[in-house]
Amino acid sequence: MENPVYYSRAEYIETDTGNKVSRRATIAGPQNIILGGKTIIASGAIIRGDLRRTGPGHAVVISLGRYCLIGEGCVMRPPYKTYRGNFNYYPMKIGDHVHIGANSIVEAATIGNYVEIGKNCIIGKFTIIKDCAKIADNTVVPPNTVVPAMALFSGSPGRFVEDLPESTSEMIEAQTKGYYARFQPLPTER
Amino acid sequence: MTASVQYYCPCLSATPHPPPSNLASSSYSFHPLHSLFFCEECDAVRCNRCVLVEVSGYYCPNCLFEVPSASVRAEKNRCARNCFMCPNCQNTLSVVASDPPDTEDSRSSPIVISTVGEPPFFLYCNHCRWDSAEVGITFEKPTGLAAQLQKFEDMAPESLEFERLKEYYEPQLPAASSALHRSVSGVPNFNGLSRSRSSREKGHRTKKEEESVYSARVEAGSSKGLASGSGGDADVDFLKHLETVSEVAALEQRWVNSWTTSLHTSDLKPFRIPLHSKKSKRCPSCRHILIKPEQKAQSVKYKIKLVAANYLPAINVTLPHAQAAIEMIKRSSTMNRQNAAAIVEEHSSAAAGNMLAGKTYPFHLAFTNPLYDPIQVRLHVQRAVPASDPAEKTRRPPFAVTLPSSAFTVNAYTETWGLEEEDDDDMFGGEDDEFDAARSGQKDAKARGRNVAIIERRANITVIGGEVMIAKEAKGNVKFNMLVTYTYRSDDPEPTDPSLSPSKSKGSKAPEIKTFSFYTVVELGKIVPREEPKPEAD
Ligand SMILES: [Zn+2]
Ligand SMILES: [Zn+2]
Ligand SMILES: [Zn+2]
Ligand SMILES: [Zn+2]
Repeated sequence: MENPVYYSRAEYIETDTGNKVSRRATIAGPQNIILGGKTIIASGAIIRGDLRRTGPGHAVVISLGRYCLIGEGCVMRPPYKTYRGNFNYYPMKIGDHVHIGANSIVEAATIGNYVEIGKNCIIGKFTIIKDCAKIADNTVVPPNTVVPAMALFSGSPGRFVEDLPESTSEMIEAQTKGYYARFQPLPTER
Repeated sequence: MTASVQYYCPCLSATPHPPPSNLASSSYSFHPLHSLFFCEECDAVRCNRCVLVEVSGYYCPNCLFEVPSASVRAEKNRCARNCFMCPNCQNTLSVVASDPPDTEDSRSSPIVISTVGEPPFFLYCNHCRWDSAEVGITFEKPTGLAAQLQKFEDMAPESLEFERLKEYYEPQLPAASSALHRSVSGVPNFNGLSRSRSSREKGHRTKKEEESVYSARVEAGSSKGLASGSGGDADVDFLKHLETVSEVAALEQRWVNSWTTSLHTSDLKPFRIPLHSKKSKRCPSCRHILIKPEQKAQSVKYKIKLVAANYLPAINVTLPHAQAAIEMIKRSSTMNRQNAAAIVEEHSSAAAGNMLAGKTYPFHLAFTNPLYDPIQVRLHVQRAVPASDPAEKTRRPPFAVTLPSSAFTVNAYTETWGLEEEDDDDMFGGEDDEFDAARSGQKDAKARGRNVAIIERRANITVIGGEVMIAKEAKGNVKFNMLVTYTYRSDDPEPTDPSLSPSKSKGSKAPEIKTFSFYTVVELGKIVPREEPKPEAD
């Protein structure tokens, strides 16, 4: 069987819904961030919930579904633009079973369910990634790109490579659940 | 880690046995389990190489518009809305106004065209900064650009020539194809035109064909009227005076076009984005549907999805010695730098799954049962076929694989397994034992065979241990074909519903036991030649 991924209990905060957030991650504006449960935010990740639309009241800036992984050193930053002379940030919505590899920078508008983003990727502003898509390691997805469902994108700029197998959703679900199960505190600390 | 298990699809070949695993071509017959299909009718595995594929719908990969098949042909398989591809880098282009009042950041998504700004409008690539004004393409209005671009495409001399050819030959096609169909078996009869019409007009047409000879718009061989790129004097001249390579458009930038295009980078034109399709798949033998997607283009659900993963056990292979090495490297990160470097150096080869010639290694195969009934699994290693080279014949096989010879059970899948697993703390227990076993396996040749056993059984997973003994002079990869045979009850237990007719409920005959076999190829890792006797590090 695959080896467990150990972490030091002291480093991670576990929420009631099973989210595991590294104390070494930078969570800015936590009140504007929603984690769906059983989602892992790894060391060194930066989540910019503070970059919110101007105006009064409470606003969700970044929402993540269940069984997501924000890898080590990832930067999650909501997209922004100036529209009719007004500069504004726009919310980022991420579905369930989304894994983002280490050191990737994400400024997408929406990411669907069962999406896999590799290491060292740049996902440009307002990118839309549909369900079951995959972004290979080291891909640069330019701003405003649409990645259709079940597509593999790779390269710089990220381009369509091939359609993924029909069983992608089941595979990714098993993978993300398996990773969460394997992600556990060091046995000596238990 | 390189260790993998792939599944064989015979692709309707005459023999059910796969090619020897040491042939390079063998990799074409094996596929990851998740990419395979299963035909219940034929009780057989099918793969993407052998299934029949039908388009069940078209959509634009950028605006995600579902294009009715009726318009696909008229629009030449490309998006007729506002989706364009950069001819330089294939990124999606944005429609921008001249002298945009805002910075580039303000550009809205290509789907929503910004209507602010002055004409002329042009297409701009926000990745490589190509813009269509460079090649003289600008628009008065930011709408209906696709129609304008298609007009350009359709005006290309090659396009006009093709249309003319089609016009000339289409009426002759039914006769020609039925002749071909008669003389060459396997060539389908052309049925693009309605049969009644073609037969009605046949006599009349053949007479006319004999009279007319096709006259081309542009004479073949003349460079007149043909664009650069067709190999004329102009191209030679261009190449003679090249200053930088980037003046020549790369092959990749040119072959996306339907016609010969100019060699000049500066002539590249934007394209409308080619459509994508959703596909249905059928069994090549009985034509039953294996895959039928839902109509909606972006839905990832299927009306029919017969994938092999729901029928065959999933097999995962792991190498305890490689896992132990990876663990050592991980732990080394807590040590001082010098020690860590030494440990990484010592273990990196093993971590990559490499195996030393002359040693014996254990490996684990984890079988996961997707069925709601337990299965009995039996394994056979396909004997390596002697090499065709007579000189090689006398050579011993490079390695010998030992697997449990008796059948073992893999428990049924139940919906609750997945839930329990997550909280099961003991799930990975026994890992240290495995580590020890691996070590003893390597060190103590007498312990051979000790690793060949059922290692673990939990939920619907059974892990069995095997062993590979590598010959002293061996090289290449440890890769072998393995036949997996499993038996299962063919149907769910009969319902004990009293309302059923007595004859049916009384039928307490033993459930039918069925057997299914499939081949896999197991790749464990690379054999590295034994080094000069190295002082034992530990
Ligand atoms: Zn096949
Ligand atoms: Zn489109
Ligand atoms: Zn470009
Ligand atoms: Zn069939």
